[in-house]
Amino acid sequence: MRRPLRERLGKEWLFCDGGTGTILQGLGLKGGELPELWNLTRADDIKALNRGYFDAGANIVNTNTFGANPLKFDNCEELVKAGCEICKAARAESGRDDDAYVAIDVGPTGKLLAPMGDLPFEDAVDCFKTVIKAGCEAGGDLVLIETMSDAYEAKAAVIAAHEVCDLPVIVTMVYGEDGTLLTGGTIEGAVAMLEGLKVDALGVNCGFGPDKMYPIVERICKVSSLPIVVNPNAGLPRTEDGKTVFDVGPDEFAGVMTKIASLGVHVMGGCCGTTPGHISELIKSVKPLPFTCPAYKDICMVSGFASCVTIGPKPVVIGERINPTGKKRFKQALRDNDTDYILTEGLNQEDAGADILDVNVGLPEIDEPAMMESIVLKLQSVTGLPLQLDSTDTEALERGMRIYNGKPMINSVNGKVESIEAVMPLVAKYGGVLVGLSLDEDGIPDNSDGRIRVAKKIYEAADRYGIPRKDIVIDGLAMTISSDPTSAIATLDTIRRIRDELGGKSILGVSNISFGLPARELINSNFLTMAMTNGLSCAIINPCNGPMMASVRSYKALMNMDPQCTDFIASYADYVPGQAQTSKGDKTQTASTGAKLSLTEAVEKGVTGRAAEAIKEELDGGREALEIIDSELIPALDKVGKGFEAGKVFLPQLLMSADAAKAAFEVVKQSMAGTKTESKGRMILATVKGDIHDIGKNIVKVMLENYGYDVIDLGKDVPPEVIVDTAIKEDIKLVGLSALMTTTVVSMEETIKLLREKKPDTKVVVGGAVMTQEYSDQIGADCYAKDAMATVRYADQVFGE
Amino acid sequence: MPLTREITRSEALRYLGLGRSGTLDEEGLRLFDTCKAKLEESSVPRSVTKEVSVSVTDDMVMLGDTGIKSTGLARNLKCCTKAVLVAVTIGPACDRLVKRAQIKSNLEAAIYQALGAAAVEDYIDSVNDEIKERYKAQGLYCRPRFSPGYGDLSLEHQKDWFRMLDITRNTGITLLDSLLMVPTKSVTAVIGLGTDKTGSFKHDCSNCNISDTCSFAAERT
Repeated sequence: MRRPLRERLGKEWLFCDGGTGTILQGLGLKGGELPELWNLTRADDIKALNRGYFDAGANIVNTNTFGANPLKFDNCEELVKAGCEICKAARAESGRDDDAYVAIDVGPTGKLLAPMGDLPFEDAVDCFKTVIKAGCEAGGDLVLIETMSDAYEAKAAVIAAHEVCDLPVIVTMVYGEDGTLLTGGTIEGAVAMLEGLKVDALGVNCGFGPDKMYPIVERICKVSSLPIVVNPNAGLPRTEDGKTVFDVGPDEFAGVMTKIASLGVHVMGGCCGTTPGHISELIKSVKPLPFTCPAYKDICMVSGFASCVTIGPKPVVIGERINPTGKKRFKQALRDNDTDYILTEGLNQEDAGADILDVNVGLPEIDEPAMMESIVLKLQSVTGLPLQLDSTDTEALERGMRIYNGKPMINSVNGKVESIEAVMPLVAKYGGVLVGLSLDEDGIPDNSDGRIRVAKKIYEAADRYGIPRKDIVIDGLAMTISSDPTSAIATLDTIRRIRDELGGKSILGVSNISFGLPARELINSNFLTMAMTNGLSCAIINPCNGPMMASVRSYKALMNMDPQCTDFIASYADYVPGQAQTSKGDKTQTASTGAKLSLTEAVEKGVTGRAAEAIKEELDGGREALEIIDSELIPALDKVGKGFEAGKVFLPQLLMSADAAKAAFEVVKQSMAGTKTESKGRMILATVKGDIHDIGKNIVKVMLENYGYDVIDLGKDVPPEVIVDTAIKEDIKLVGLSALMTTTVVSMEETIKLLREKKPDTKVVVGGAVMTQEYSDQIGADCYAKDAMATVRYADQVFGE
Repeated sequence: MPLTREITRSEALRYLGLGRSGTLDEEGLRLFDTCKAKLEESSVPRSVTKEVSVSVTDDMVMLGDTGIKSTGLARNLKCCTKAVLVAVTIGPACDRLVKRAQIKSNLEAAIYQALGAAAVEDYIDSVNDEIKERYKAQGLYCRPRFSPGYGDLSLEHQKDWFRMLDITRNTGITLLDSLLMVPTKSVTAVIGLGTDKTGSFKHDCSNCNISDTCSFAAERT
C-alpha cells in the first residue's frame, strides 16, 4: 500500500519527473498547439511520457495539466481529469502503485494579478480551485504548483488548494539568476510567505540549469524549515533550426545535482529539456548520498511584495502613522476615501526609515473590512515594505490577510480565549507574524510576572493552532508613567524576560509611556533606548519624529548593528547641534527655496514647499481659506494654464504648478478637516477600461479640486458598469472620462452608451492624448476638453446652470 | 542587473514635453537626475529574441508559422527571407516608481514616465545593435523595427508575439485583456533581415498613422 506522501516528504530522498514540453515537441507538438489537448487526442503519447518517468524511478510524476486553466480552456476540468487518469494508468503499467505519486500539475494562469495586472486575486483563486478540484476528484495524490514567477499568484494557488482539498501542496518558484522573481520578489520573501501558508514543501524549478541554481538553493536552505524541492532545466535553452534544444546531458546534470544535494535538499527532479535519462542518472547518483532532514530555522520573517524583514536581534521600526486615532485629518481622509492622503502617510514613513508600516483604518462610520482590503492593495502597489495589519475587527483582518502580497504582521491577539479563537485560526491559515498582547480576561497585569504568564498562554495557544513560536511577538504593553510611576519598570522587565526566559520576540507601542506628560519625545526616546537595551525587537513609533529615530540609529551604531556606522553617518552627515532635526528623506523644499515668494508666485513658479508655507501663513493671519483659493490659487493656476495653452509654458512647469497648488490645497484641507466645506459640485473622473494611463486624469483631478469640485476618483482601467453604477448611486451630474490609447476609445464609447441608457441626465466630458473633437462627437460625448483647464471651464458651465 | 547604458537625457526630456526651447529649472533638473539614477539602478532589463522565416505575398506576411495581414508590415518586410522577433522590458520598477510619485508629485511621475520610455527605447536599440552585428557576418541587414500597433498592424497581434516568443515566461511581461503590456515600459517588435543595405537604418515615419500631425516627426526632419 502506498504510504501517505506527508510521511515521506523530508524524511527520505524523493524524486520528481523531468521535462514535458521538449519531449512532446519531439513527438510533433507544434508551436502554439496547446499540449493539454493531447490528454484527449493523443492519450497514448501522454501515457508513454508519464510512463517514462515512472520507469526511470521518479516518485512524483506530473499530470500533463501545466497550462490547463479555465481562462484558456472551456473544458478545463475534462482535460485535468483525463490528465490524472492517464498518469494513474501509466503508474499502474509501470508497477509503481506502491511508491509513486500522481501530482496535479498547476502552472501560472499567464495573466498578471491586480493591482498591477487585470486578474483580480479572487478570480485567480477560483481558477485554481477549478483545476485542483478536478484533479483531486480524479485521484491526484498531491498538488504541485510550479514555475511561478509571481509569489502573489502562488499564494492564490495555495489558498485554492487548501480550500478544496487536504492533499499535500508543493510550490516551486522560478527565479532570475540574481535570485529575484520576475515580479521583483526575493527568495527569502517567497519562502516566508509559503511557510506561513503552510505548504508541505517548497523550492525552485525551471529558469536555467543546475549550476546556476546552486546559489539560489543555498539561499533557500538558509531560511527554510520545510523540505526543499529542486527541479532545474537541462541548461539554458538554445534555438537550433527553429527548435528549442538543451545542452546538459544526463551525466553532467546528475553531477551538478549531487553537489546541490549536499546543500541539504530533499526532493530532486528536472524541468525543461530533462528526460527520463536525466532522471534515472540523477536517482542513481543522489540516492546513495546521506540524507539530511529539514531543520527548524528560528528566523522570524515578514515580507512585502519585494522585501523581507527579519525581526530580531536588530530592532525593527514599525511606523504608526496610518491610524485615525486622535487625527482629524486622517479620519476625514477615511470618510472621503481620500486614499492619496493615507498613502502619503505611508510613503513619508518609509522615507523616514520605517521597516514595516502599521495599517489601522478603523472608524465606526466606514466599512472597515472593505477599507482594509483596498488600502492594503493600494499600499502594496506603491511600497515594498511589509505591512502590519492592525484591527480589532476579525473580518477586516481576514480580508487584509487574504489579499496581502507576502507574509504580514498581524496586530493583534491577546490572552483572552475569545481573542485567541477569533484570530489564531486566521494566522494558521494565511500565515503571518502575530502580535500577542500580554493581557487577558483579568485585565493588564501590573507586573512582569503576570504579563509573562499571559505570554506563555499565548505561546501555548499558538502551538495548538500550529503557528510556529518564531511567528509570535509579545507586546510587553507600555502604560503611561504619569498614572503609575512603576509602569515603565514593569514593561522593561517584561521585555527582558520575554527574551531571556521565553527566547521570544517583543514589541511595544512606545509613545504610550509618556501620555499626559509634557515634552513627550524626551521620555519616549529615552524609554525607547532603555527598551532596546532590554531586548525590544519591534518599536511601534512615528519614524518622522527626529529624536525617536535618533535613538534607534544611535542604538544600532553603538551595538555593532550598523556596520561602519553607514546608516548613522548617512542620516546625520548634515547634523547641526542644538537644532531641531528633520528626519532623512523629509526633503520637502526648505524655506530657502524662494523664501520671499508670495502664494501666487510660488504656485506660478511651482515651488511646492513655499506654496504650502505661504498659504499656512495667510491662514494663520486669519484669512478665509476660500478667499485665498479664489483670489490667489485659482488665478495663479489660470495664468500657468493659459501659458500652457499658448505654448509658452511646457508640461513640466504646468505639473510643478499643479503640484504646488496641490500642496497648498492640502494645507487648506488640514485646516478644514472635520468642518463641512462648500463644494461647487460632485463629479466622477475615471480612466476607462483597458487603459492604465492616468497622469492626465490625475492632473485634471488636482485642477478640479483646486477649483472647488468634489471629485470621486474611480482610478484607471475602470469598467463601464462601475462608472455608471457610481453615477446612479451618487446622483452625479458630470462624468469625466480619460483615454490615452486609440484602442481604449472603444471603452469610452461603451461607457457613454451605457450611461445614456441608465442615467441619461448625466453629462460627459472626455479627454486624453488621442482624443479629438471629431472622436468626441463620434462617440457621443457632451464635451471634448483638450486639457485640464477646459475640463474646469466645462464643469463651471454644467454646475453653473 | 540594473541598466548598463545611461538613459539618453535628450530623449527623456523630449518625452517630457519640452520643446526645442524648453528646459527644466535647476530644481527640476536635480529631480530629473535623481529620478534618472534611481530608475537606472532599479530597472532589470530582460529580453527574448527568436529568428523566424519570412514570406510576403501582397499584404499577407508569414512570420514563422503565423500569418499576418498588414500592408505596412508587408512593405517593411518585402525582400526579407527571415526576421528576428523581439520583446524587451526594463522591468516592473518604473511602474512602481510612477505610481509612487503620482501620490505626491505629478511632475515626478511625468519624469519617470519619460525616463522609462527613453530607457526602454535605449534598451531595444542595444538589442537591435547586437542583432545587427550578429547578422552582418551573414551579409544580412536589419530593416527598421516594426511593432504591433504600428500603421495597420493590429495590436491584436500582440498575442502572436506572446505565443511565439513565450514572452511571459522569458521576460515577465504579461499581456492584459486590453492588449497593453505590464510592465508598461516594454516593447515588442519584428526586425526584418534582408540583403539590401540601403535605407535599412533610417527611421521610417511613413507607416505611422499620425505622421502628419506628430510634433516629434516634425522635429526629426
